[in-house]
Amino acid sequence: MKRLAVWCVALVLSGLPAAAQSGGELRFCLRSEPKTFNPLAADDDASGAVRYLTGGVLVRVNRITQKAQPELATEWKVSESGKRISFKLRDGLRYSDGTPFSADDVAYTMQQLMDPALHSSTGDAFRSGEGAVSTRVISPTAIEINFPAPVANLANLFDTVAIVSSKSPLKEMAALGPFYVAEHKPGSYILLKRNPGYWKKDASGRPLPYVDAVRLDIEQNPDIEALRYRRGEIHLINTVSPAVFEKLSEENAALVRDAGTSTDTEQIWFNQVPGAPIPAYKQAWFSSTAFRRAVSEAINRNDLARIVYHGHATAAIGIVPASNKFWFNSELKPHPYDTGSALRRLQQEGFRLDNGTLRDKTGNAVEFSIITNAGSRTRESMAAMIQEDLKKIGIKVNVVPLDFNSLLERINQTHDYEACLLGFVNGDLDPNSVMTVWLSSGDEHAWNPKQKSPATAWEAEIDKMMRGQASALDERKRKEYWDKVQRIAWEHEPFIFLVNKDTLVAISPSVKNAQPSILPPQAYWNIEELALAH
Amino acid sequence: MKALRIAAVVLLLATGVAAFGARWIAPAGYEQQFRDEPAAAPSAHHPLGTDELGRDRLARLLYGMRVSLALAPLAALLTTSLAALLGGVAGCFGGWTERSCMFLADFFLSVPWLFLLITVRAALPLNISPEASAAVTFLLLGLLGWAASARVVCAGAKNLMRSDFVWNARAAGFAGFKLVRLHLLPNLRGTLLAQFWISIPVFIIAEANLGALGLGVSEPLPSLGSLLREMQNMVMLRPEPWRFVPILVLVLIVTSFQVLLRKQEVRI
Amino acid sequence: MRRWFILRATRLLVIMLLASLAGALLIRYAPGFSSDQQELNTGLSAQSLQAIRQARLAESNVPRFYVRYLGSLMVGDLGRSLSLNQPVRELLRDRLPVTARNLGLALLLAWLLGLALAVVSVTLTSRFFATASEGLSVVFISTPAAALALVLVLLRLPAFAAAALLLFPKIYRYSSNLLREGYESPHVLMARAKGAGRWRLLAWHVAPVSVPQWIALLGVSVSVAIGVLLPIEVISDVPGIGQLAWQAAEARDLTLLVNLTLVVTFLTVCATTLSDAALRAFTRSPA
Repeated sequence: MKRLAVWCVALVLSGLPAAAQSGGELRFCLRSEPKTFNPLAADDDASGAVRYLTGGVLVRVNRITQKAQPELATEWKVSESGKRISFKLRDGLRYSDGTPFSADDVAYTMQQLMDPALHSSTGDAFRSGEGAVSTRVISPTAIEINFPAPVANLANLFDTVAIVSSKSPLKEMAALGPFYVAEHKPGSYILLKRNPGYWKKDASGRPLPYVDAVRLDIEQNPDIEALRYRRGEIHLINTVSPAVFEKLSEENAALVRDAGTSTDTEQIWFNQVPGAPIPAYKQAWFSSTAFRRAVSEAINRNDLARIVYHGHATAAIGIVPASNKFWFNSELKPHPYDTGSALRRLQQEGFRLDNGTLRDKTGNAVEFSIITNAGSRTRESMAAMIQEDLKKIGIKVNVVPLDFNSLLERINQTHDYEACLLGFVNGDLDPNSVMTVWLSSGDEHAWNPKQKSPATAWEAEIDKMMRGQASALDERKRKEYWDKVQRIAWEHEPFIFLVNKDTLVAISPSVKNAQPSILPPQAYWNIEELALAH
Repeated sequence: MKALRIAAVVLLLATGVAAFGARWIAPAGYEQQFRDEPAAAPSAHHPLGTDELGRDRLARLLYGMRVSLALAPLAALLTTSLAALLGGVAGCFGGWTERSCMFLADFFLSVPWLFLLITVRAALPLNISPEASAAVTFLLLGLLGWAASARVVCAGAKNLMRSDFVWNARAAGFAGFKLVRLHLLPNLRGTLLAQFWISIPVFIIAEANLGALGLGVSEPLPSLGSLLREMQNMVMLRPEPWRFVPILVLVLIVTSFQVLLRKQEVRI
Repeated sequence: MRRWFILRATRLLVIMLLASLAGALLIRYAPGFSSDQQELNTGLSAQSLQAIRQARLAESNVPRFYVRYLGSLMVGDLGRSLSLNQPVRELLRDRLPVTARNLGLALLLAWLLGLALAVVSVTLTSRFFATASEGLSVVFISTPAAALALVLVLLRLPAFAAAALLLFPKIYRYSSNLLREGYESPHVLMARAKGAGRWRLLAWHVAPVSVPQWIALLGVSVSVAIGVLLPIEVISDVPGIGQLAWQAAEARDLTLLVNLTLVVTFLTVCATTLSDAALRAFTRSPA
């Protein structure tokens, strides 16, 4: 059945205007130097991109259908309620240097990946409980992997596990994916060449990938990247800023594409850490739900989307964008932009407007600072707009852009801040991927992380729901739990979600078969099928 | 040449008046957002158009000039005074004093001071006003920028100490403070003024670069530096020439300073 | 001479040591030293985050770090960059030649431009030409480096050209002053009275007298060029040590920054020493 589905997808894809010619060099940019070429240790974006282009994985999540599809494994089965997965592997495959591929390589990869000294997010995702991960090679084409505790969403996690060779003298540089690293000039470029032994073929039997090489230029400055794209020196930009998108589309609408609402979020939160070095009266405001809701209602989200994102964003309702039909709780309505209602909420809490200045019960003028990362134009602009919005209800906001490391130290270690504007990048749509954000004991529970026991009743409730969805096997049941989390977060607004931005990509019309997705790598997820028109 | 100097003086006076009279001249407040017309082209209401958030560009330019024109010369004054002190002392006394001062200067030129700026910004309270934070930034620039100028001043002072008229003055019994005040300082004036005027644009630009690190002037207050930073988006530059106005103004201001500076050099 | 050389070398070493130590202290006490950008990666477990922080904290005792660093420096080991996950020696090997090449080209171009303009404007005594070269140098002195670098990227010109354009006005001004002084000195007036030609005058009578000043200017121009080129590298994305230093600063990479401080200090101090030495030779010789 699964195989049939894959064939259908393959047929659909091949039904598109297929590559008339193949060959040529596809060029685009990475924003930084990859920290490693070892696919198992890849945690930064650039290393992840190289892994995606060179690594062979057992299972690939199709970025359009968002379903797992066979890759090195022809079929798989999850059993023992998520504690075991068994794979049947493709036969007769070889690495780029000619070393044969077998189940031993999968076992070796899992063993390397679970090395506690490695500290990679790929490995951490499999660490569901105490105890070791074990593998059993049944035959050269069959393997079984056992986990100490059930792992949610197990098969999809293998999308980032590139299988490294246990025998090749090139070690992890031997590639099973469509390309291999042929040249690297540090700080300048990486040249990937077509893997001659790659197994995949298109519907007409032509070997994939269509292009002969991929050149990745390391370009830190997105403005120069845009300039080079406009000059035709590079073929695509994986994510473009809304301002650049707008300018490029004014010139030629075919240069850019809006792939739809992304899974990323942009939010403000107030510091609610007990004992944080801020005055007690400010802590009282920040831990008041009415205060947070009032601030939320005083922010004109539609203006943020229209002006800062040039319309390529929608006002956020909650954690999950409304466009995500499966996981979004459709009972939630947008928070209104209503300064009158905001002021009423504040008055009920004892705040009063005095000559244009909002004062609390004890007469303190309401003033706070919002920190955000310096150099992010969209965030600095949003902060400046929120500053103006809140002025209307008598709140004085100071915008403080900080360099990234200083910002992290404040939010994670010293807790010396009042409010923070930041975004979360969610590569995954599954609630399990945001456990550390919503559990009150989690590291990323930004407004008050690593709590011994939940500080409020609603956080205790969220904890219960999050644990419930993680242990439930039935998708419908999990959705029920996740709906409740969304409802509680909507009511209490520990995160004031601002906008859901669109995935904006630039792909040259000369690149055929492009099908940008909202999931990374947005523009080149179907790299094997991309072809260049000459 | 005289016409050029008059033009420079007129231009500087005009920008000064415009900047400090911004409150009356500017079409709107620098922070006011006209959200119905973001990134608009020049019009009667907004002679230089509006920025991404719909703020009047002319108003931001005028207020931005005010911040930079008021603070950069102060920082330049500070740095030149330090350079005069250390370089002058080194040049006059020579020997070990000179060697120590120049050692200090070389040391100062080599240390990555960027981190001091980051540390100081972190030590400031988060709710500090943008004006105060701008003032602190320029103060630091002034305190750290003296080393290169001190070398020049030191060389100048050394030359003077060897010159005939200083020998004569010494022979006539001038010494110590009196010698410095009556003979050295007046003759070093050209060098010092040159250093002063060179420092001003350097600081204006340094502030712009620090802004990228979150150390410069913060929202919504504009400065020439932050206006320059907005220009980084090169894809957008070509069709919208009015965005070049801030840099044009900066170059004009600095050029005027330079024209006046040449006059000082001639006088030496 | 030998004593002078030893003294200068010691001075250079002491400044390098002090500057790199000061740099290390500044980075250590700058905010965000113990933070890592990976902390926002929701996929990492608490243990992994802890391990990443521990790795950074291993460098937090600056005296101990510094002593260990100097120890391994003696045996030629420059340490490892935490943020780029590579030995510093390799990073420098890849990046230094890029910066050195750009520095050399920038200096060459700036000197050619500056000298040519100075010579022509002094010898030709054409009012028009003098005003034009004066205007050109004033405009480039007044242009912010960042803006010029961006414009050159737009025009597809290399980064060293931006550095050269910012540098040449200084060379032009200083050397035209030198030449003018030279032309007014008594022996040149005499030669001129005897009917020496314009170029002969320049080559035999004017230029040689001020050789030490030219060398001094060369030293100063090197240190100015370093100061101009490094930020330009960041703006126009040239993979040299300026860009490397910027990345190291952003990631609070102690080992890498200490090494880069040493390199920059070495170049700067050598350049200023050269100019001091030239002037010193000059002031001694006439006696």
